[in-house]
Amino acid sequence: MPFFMLIFRNLLRQRIRTLLTAFGISLGITTVVALGIVTDGFKATAQQVLRAGGSDFAIGQAGSADLTFSTLTNDQLNAVAAYEGVEHATGVLMAVSRLGSNPFFIQLGVKPSDLQYFQVPLVAGRHLAPDGTNEILLGQEAASQLGKKVGDTVDLKDRTFTVVGIYRTRDTWQDGGGILPLATVQEYERKPGLMTLIYVKAKPGVNLDELTARIEKDHPELATLRTVSDYGDVDQGVQFMDAANLAISFLAVFIGGIGVMNTMVMSVMERTREFGILRAVGWRTRRVLQMVLGESILLCLIGSLVGSILAVIFTRLILIFPVVRSFLEPEYTPEVFIRGLVVGVAVALLGALYPAIRAVRLSPIQAIRYE
Amino acid sequence: MNRTRIAIDVQDVVKTYEEGRIHALNGASLQVREGEFVAITGPSGCGKSTLLHLIAALDRPDSGRIAVNGVDLVHMRDLSLYRSHQVGLVFQLHNLLPTLSASANVQLPMYEAELSLWERRARAKRLLEAVGLGDRANTPPTKLSGGERQRVAIARALANDPPILLADEPTGNLDSKAGQMVLDLLRSIQRERGVTLVLVSHDLQIARAAQRIVRMLDGRVVDEGVASSATASGTAEGEE
Repeated sequence: MPFFMLIFRNLLRQRIRTLLTAFGISLGITTVVALGIVTDGFKATAQQVLRAGGSDFAIGQAGSADLTFSTLTNDQLNAVAAYEGVEHATGVLMAVSRLGSNPFFIQLGVKPSDLQYFQVPLVAGRHLAPDGTNEILLGQEAASQLGKKVGDTVDLKDRTFTVVGIYRTRDTWQDGGGILPLATVQEYERKPGLMTLIYVKAKPGVNLDELTARIEKDHPELATLRTVSDYGDVDQGVQFMDAANLAISFLAVFIGGIGVMNTMVMSVMERTREFGILRAVGWRTRRVLQMVLGESILLCLIGSLVGSILAVIFTRLILIFPVVRSFLEPEYTPEVFIRGLVVGVAVALLGALYPAIRAVRLSPIQAIRYE
Repeated sequence: MNRTRIAIDVQDVVKTYEEGRIHALNGASLQVREGEFVAITGPSGCGKSTLLHLIAALDRPDSGRIAVNGVDLVHMRDLSLYRSHQVGLVFQLHNLLPTLSASANVQLPMYEAELSLWERRARAKRLLEAVGLGDRANTPPTKLSGGERQRVAIARALANDPPILLADEPTGNLDSKAGQMVLDLLRSIQRERGVTLVLVSHDLQIARAAQRIVRMLDGRVVDEGVASSATASGTAEGEE
């Protein structure tokens, strides 16, 4: 019988116990993997936010706790636009409010004249008219959820807006929201002359590192944003999720480790005599350790596999809710599943270390006589 | 093979348990020649099984010297290789793993012999055939009779073709017919393979099958005698 089969058969001796332990581990792994998938989804969304409208980078207020708290002025917009390497700077005011069944409908206030730079490909209708204060462009996902088409109206912030166009950027957060005239959003948000972000389109051939460094040097109150790690300068949400992910991973290892240890200690104690026999027929300490650790690792690998499958099912299921679909596209990266696997193996090693040492600590004859 | 060579050399071995309160061996000494069949007998608690376990390297003595085929067991750090290749051990209780088949049980010592899966299977098959259980290879021990289990245990003890076979009350849990069958098997293995066989038994009738009988009392070897024609007929003489 191959050594691996010996390990596998040992797990089958107490089928119910093995199944329950694997299920317990799988729940921990489900949490770790699902959180990773969601976090990566949010990071992808954050990356999309920074590159919205085909811009090269975005600028926010340095030190904001949340992106929506970022406040920029017209003077700052003009100062950025004045840089030699900047082709165009678009000021955008973001707002979030309920629309229909979606409590997080994202609105982008953009000057209609900027829409030639801030690119949103239309699939129906036209762009905002320069004087169209009560016009709205809807993302395709939002239009679908609301059941609206060009010419229909939507009620938002006690106003009625006419849908003049439907766009599709393939960015989840943008396609789940809408674009309105900047002045209109500033008015109903009571933020006259203020913006959330400045989207910068640089001139061709301009060194973006130098340009962003110069802007930050000249304006320490501004944070240039090109990557997800830059995003943390204006929004602590991603960092918070990363920290939560790490904390939950440690918790999963700790709690899962205790569960595995419980199972393995019981298994090893029940088989003390058997380990004595194996040592008596010449098994080295290392082989006994391999067997106990192998059982634990196999148990946790099964738990990790089931947990990863459950995580995928869970993250697909939450997309049933339109509100989630409008700002989250789960990211199934290999790293997330590898992390789940690493957590599973860590649980296995943590849980089996003591039982494995216990299994080889007794002399063979002590173990054989063990009652 | 040089039959006069000393295979097992035990000198003044002391073994205590429970922090010295129980003296299992009090300076026991024993020499066994290569290819010899020796029976150790004596009353319960005289230390015969302890002595056998020390020779099998299942435990270490407190003091004294044990050398097997020139290897010093007292100072050897890792005894696993010795246990897997130098000695085969048969217990009173067969000590087979109940969840494995007879063949898988016989293969257990072979994991340390770096044999391929196919070699392990083939060798286990040959050994089970040799003990008359060729047709029970896939049967778990729970479905074997006591005598059959002990024969599987003997096959397992021979797994890595060790030069020394140690049997601790191998017939103690069997009826007389099965016990005689196991004893005959051990004796034929000792003869045909030329292995050194040390058998522990409190039953003098069983011990008489040996070439030499060693009697123990209070942790010491107190008497030795040659069993008359054990090699020929199994009858004993002058062992007392």
